[in-house]
Amino acid sequence: MKNEDYIKKWLEGTLTGEEKRDFEASEDFKSIDRLSRATQAFKAPEYEVDAGLERLQKAKSEMGKTGRVVSMNWMKPFLRVAAVFIFLSIGYIYLTRDQVTDVRTFAAQKAEIYLPDSSFVALNAHSHLTYPDKKWENERKVALDGEAFFKVAKGSRFDVETQSGTISVLGTEFNVKTREGYFEVICYEGLVRVESPQKTVELQPNHMFRIIKGTVSDEQLPTGAAPSWPSGESAFKSVPYTHVIKEFERQYDITIITKNVDVDQFFTGGFVHDDIELALKAITLPVNISYQIQKDKQVIISGDKEVE
Amino acid sequence: MKPDGGVCEEKLYNELFKRHSKDLHNFLHYKYGAENNPGDLVQEAFLKLWNNCHKVGPEKARSYLFTVANNQMLNELSKKKTVLKYSLEKPKSHTSESPEYVMEGKEYMDKLQKAIEGLTEEQRVTFLLNRIEGKKHKEIAEMLGISRKAVEKRIYTALGILKQKVGKI
Repeated sequence: MKNEDYIKKWLEGTLTGEEKRDFEASEDFKSIDRLSRATQAFKAPEYEVDAGLERLQKAKSEMGKTGRVVSMNWMKPFLRVAAVFIFLSIGYIYLTRDQVTDVRTFAAQKAEIYLPDSSFVALNAHSHLTYPDKKWENERKVALDGEAFFKVAKGSRFDVETQSGTISVLGTEFNVKTREGYFEVICYEGLVRVESPQKTVELQPNHMFRIIKGTVSDEQLPTGAAPSWPSGESAFKSVPYTHVIKEFERQYDITIITKNVDVDQFFTGGFVHDDIELALKAITLPVNISYQIQKDKQVIISGDKEVE
Repeated sequence: MKPDGGVCEEKLYNELFKRHSKDLHNFLHYKYGAENNPGDLVQEAFLKLWNNCHKVGPEKARSYLFTVANNQMLNELSKKKTVLKYSLEKPKSHTSESPEYVMEGKEYMDKLQKAIEGLTEEQRVTFLLNRIEGKKHKEIAEMLGISRKAVEKRIYTALGILKQKVGKI
C-alpha cells in the first residue's frame, strides 16, 4: 500500500490493526500525529445549546410581532418598474464612473492587496495606494505614497507612480519606499526600471536604489534577500537616524522626542513591530542613547552628551 | 407530525435545534472564525428554517441548515478575516486520552496558526471538522453537499500543506 493510502485511511480511521502498526512505525507518522494533536488546540469554543435556543425563541416571537411576512401582491407591478429602474441606474453608474480603488493604512497598520491581475501588494504602515479597477486590462498602473512590497504577475508593463519617481516592470518582486526626503527601491526578482528626476536606472535583482535628500546611491544586497517588514520587522542599512525614528513612529503609532541625539548619523540595524521595549532597545543601545516611555504615546530618547 | 411533513411544529423545531445547532456552530466557526460571530449565524440559519418550515421536512432539515450556512453571504464590509486562535488552556471537555497536545511549543503553534490561515476555506473547514470534531468523510460530505472523494482529497491536501509549512522545526 502506498504512503498516501495509509495517510488517507488513517485520516478516516479505517486502518486495520496491522496496517495501523505499520503506519505508526513510519517516520511520516510522527510529524502527522504531532500536527494532528496540535490542531486540537484550535477547537471551536463550546456552543451553549440551551442559551442559543432561548435566544432563538425570542427572535422568533419578535419576528412574529413585527409582522415580517407582509403580502406584497399589490406592490408587485410597482416593484418591477422599480427593479428595472435600479438596475439601469446601477449599470449607468458602473459604466460611466472611473472606478478607482483606494487603500490607506494608518500608523501601526499593514494591508495586503491583490490587484485585478492577482499581482500582490503588501502595504506598510501609514501608506496610501490607489489603482483604477476598470482600466486595469489596458494599463497596469498604481500610485503609491509610503512603502509597499510588490509581487507583480507576469504581463504587460506595470507602473508604480510616486512623488519621487516612477518604477516600471514586467513581472517581478520589488519594494518601494517613498517617505519625506527618502526614496528607496529594492529589486528582488526580474528587472526594475526606476525613473527619477535625478537619475534613471535599471535595477538587477538584489540591487537597491536610494535617494536620500537628493543624494543618489546604488548598492548590491546579499543574494536571497527579502523585505523584512512584511514579516514584522524593519531593517535599515546605512540610513540616517531620523528616518529610523520616523519609521518607528509609523509602526507603533507614537511620537518620539529626541534630546541630544544626532539624527543625521547613519544607522544599520532593525526593530520588531510587536514588542515596543525590545524594539526601542534595538534602536537605542547600538548608538548609545537611552529611552523613556511616557504617557500619551510618547517616547523620549536622549543621548548623554551634547550634540555639536 | 403535520400531514405536510414540515417542521413548523414548535416541539419538533426545538428538537432539531438541540440536535443540530452544535454541529452547525462548529462548522461556521471553522468556516468564518470567531470574529464573525458563528452564534449569530446559527440563529440566522434557524430563523430561515422557521420561515420556510412548511417546505422543509424533518429529514431534510439538517441538509437545509447546512446549505443555508454554506451560502450565508456575510456583508463584505463587515466580514473580518477568518482567524482561528488556538488556546493553550485545556478545554473543559478534555479527556485524559491525549494530554500532550497542550504542551506544544508556542513557536510551533504560531506556525500552525499561520499555516491554517493559509489554507483555502474549503480545505480548512474539511480538515478541522475531521481532525478536531472527528467527523467522518461521509458526514462532512453531507454537510458541504460534495462527494466523499472530494472530502478525502481536501483533507489529504490540507494535511500535506500544513505538514510542509510547519514540518521543519
